[in-house]
Amino acid sequence: MPFALSAYVTAILNAADAGFAFVLGDGRVRFEDGREVEAHDGAALAATAHPSGQGVVTGGDDGRLVWTRPEGAQALAEHPGAWIDAVASSRDSGLIAYALGKRAVVLAPAEPDFQRTFDHPATVADLAFDPRGRRLAAATYGGVALWYARFADQKPVTLRWAGSHARALFSPDGKYLVSAMQEPALHAWRLADGAQAELGGCYGGKVRSLAFVQKGDWLATSGADQGVIWPFLGRDGPLRARPVGLNLGQPGRVTCVAAQGDRLGLGLDSGAVVALDLTTEAQSLVRSAGDGAAVTALAVAADGRLAYGDETGGAGIVQV
Amino acid sequence: MTPIPVTVLTGFLGAGKTTLLNRILSEDHGRRYAVIVNEFGEIGIDGSLVVGADEEVFEMNNGCVCCTVRGDLIRVVQGLMKRQASAARGFDAIIVETTGLADPGPVAQTFFVDDDVRANTRLDSVTTVVDAHHVLATLDENAQAREQIAFADQIILNKTDLADEAALRAIEARIARMNPLAKVHRAVKGDVPLDAILGRGGFDLERIVSLEPDFLNPPHGEAGHVHGPDCDHEDHGHGDHGHGDHGHGDHDHHDHDHGDHARGHDHGDDIKGVSLSLDRPVDGAKVSRWLSDLLAAQGQDILRAKGIIAVQGEPRRLVFQAVHMMLDGDFQRPWAPDEARESRMVFIGRNLDAAALEAGFRACAA
Repeated sequence: MPFALSAYVTAILNAADAGFAFVLGDGRVRFEDGREVEAHDGAALAATAHPSGQGVVTGGDDGRLVWTRPEGAQALAEHPGAWIDAVASSRDSGLIAYALGKRAVVLAPAEPDFQRTFDHPATVADLAFDPRGRRLAAATYGGVALWYARFADQKPVTLRWAGSHARALFSPDGKYLVSAMQEPALHAWRLADGAQAELGGCYGGKVRSLAFVQKGDWLATSGADQGVIWPFLGRDGPLRARPVGLNLGQPGRVTCVAAQGDRLGLGLDSGAVVALDLTTEAQSLVRSAGDGAAVTALAVAADGRLAYGDETGGAGIVQV
Repeated sequence: MTPIPVTVLTGFLGAGKTTLLNRILSEDHGRRYAVIVNEFGEIGIDGSLVVGADEEVFEMNNGCVCCTVRGDLIRVVQGLMKRQASAARGFDAIIVETTGLADPGPVAQTFFVDDDVRANTRLDSVTTVVDAHHVLATLDENAQAREQIAFADQIILNKTDLADEAALRAIEARIARMNPLAKVHRAVKGDVPLDAILGRGGFDLERIVSLEPDFLNPPHGEAGHVHGPDCDHEDHGHGDHGHGDHGHGDHDHHDHDHGDHARGHDHGDDIKGVSLSLDRPVDGAKVSRWLSDLLAAQGQDILRAKGIIAVQGEPRRLVFQAVHMMLDGDFQRPWAPDEARESRMVFIGRNLDAAALEAGFRACAA
């Protein structure tokens, strides 16, 4: 059932009992049951699940980091005049990280006095925890810095590669780190030995969205006029691999991907939303091109429901 | 969504950027602005959104050495676009205030290179504010100041109350030699009509209406200068070939003999504008190859270029613009029946060889 949120959909998250949470460009968080909370005085720029599994943590252009549940919002950090445009969390370690310009800050909601700050030579564009929540990756200009999230004094290990890195993501087995570049390409490092490869050649634009599918065997990506998935199989994972293209039968460029188990959702700049099951290869058209604006957020739940949102606030939840 | 117009405000410290910015924000009540600044100063007008950002120049990892973009701008534009669908949070235009030392090249290139910025915004103008009292000395001393002139679509010659008419003419003449495309607005305390400086469409191919003889007109005091309606001064003898009416009164040490130099010659500035015209149609394939090769070879030194080209056998005007190596061109409206099919182009850059450019262009004749 489509509905209108009258604001850019920044992110959609699975908020446990509260169902899907839509994080919006006017600062609201709207839960699936219709309850709404004003989280920011401005736009919500980035979102992640709270480590407790309850509610969402968002960063805003009001300089606030906010934990929002259907009952209300609570500020976790405030930095007036700054933007918080990257956040990450780990259920395993209970940590939350956020970026503030060149600085990454780590908080532990269960330990009010705990805080770590990690400084970088350039702005942190994205943050990601490894699967156990112990290491934090910060995507920045010239590479990705890896920090031990709980350590106070340390020098990061920097995975260097020329250019600006805008996204970072660990593979679910923790063996690889993938970044998305300002150029239309990804970069992948094998953490054990530092072996690396550029993954590209198939993109028409920047890759903004990454999601692992099928327990991490495949990485789905945006940025092409079809779905693109990279194998993370075998000894070399993606390092010597070729991508597989997924014909979506819809015009436009993929802007957004999300996955759960075998199920993959893809959103396009034409407004189309397509759901795929990689095992059965069943494909279903959730929304046709032209029936909405460019898709900006997607989420897939364990029960197979898919939620989407677009840049003008068009949204929907469907059972795939 | 309609692309959001972006005005880039450059200029040296103390030239009056912040004064102009505050005027725009306080006078233009009809529009809501997002302002990207590098230092929080006395800006802060109700209804406008002020965003602080550190200038971060990124080299693109694509083998093109001059292909640099502003990472902070990319991020801020992405963030600002999230507000747009909301009636209460959206805004109508963006102003980017750069620091005095900023190189405008990466700022302008960001609007050509980045997918998101291209999709959501259009660069309306690079507007450079200069201080009439200090500009000549600043231009002598500082390469960044010269680039700010070279990149500009328009120049606000501010604090004109601190200089006499002869000095102002000398400044305008020097600016025109460096950048014949930029419109110069004289101002005191940034008092320029806002509708004259906003909505320029400075990078809009559709808006390349004409590179009129006026644009190509060598500045006052240069050989070949034609006095038009905008020249509010008495004609003077051309016997001295461009010794001109500027410079006699003010003892600018750069005002050395211009005697027998071709137009486009400068005061010794490394940056100058070179204007070319051809009254015969050109061969479309030849001219596009020439432009591509030229920008590939000299794109680091060519800061901006614009042109209107009459292609043999083509009823429409071919228009182009370039920022460094980035070339953007398209066929535009048809030539009007009474319009002279003359090709014109202007290159602004460092160490340009006017004779070689002229020869290269002429060789494209059909």
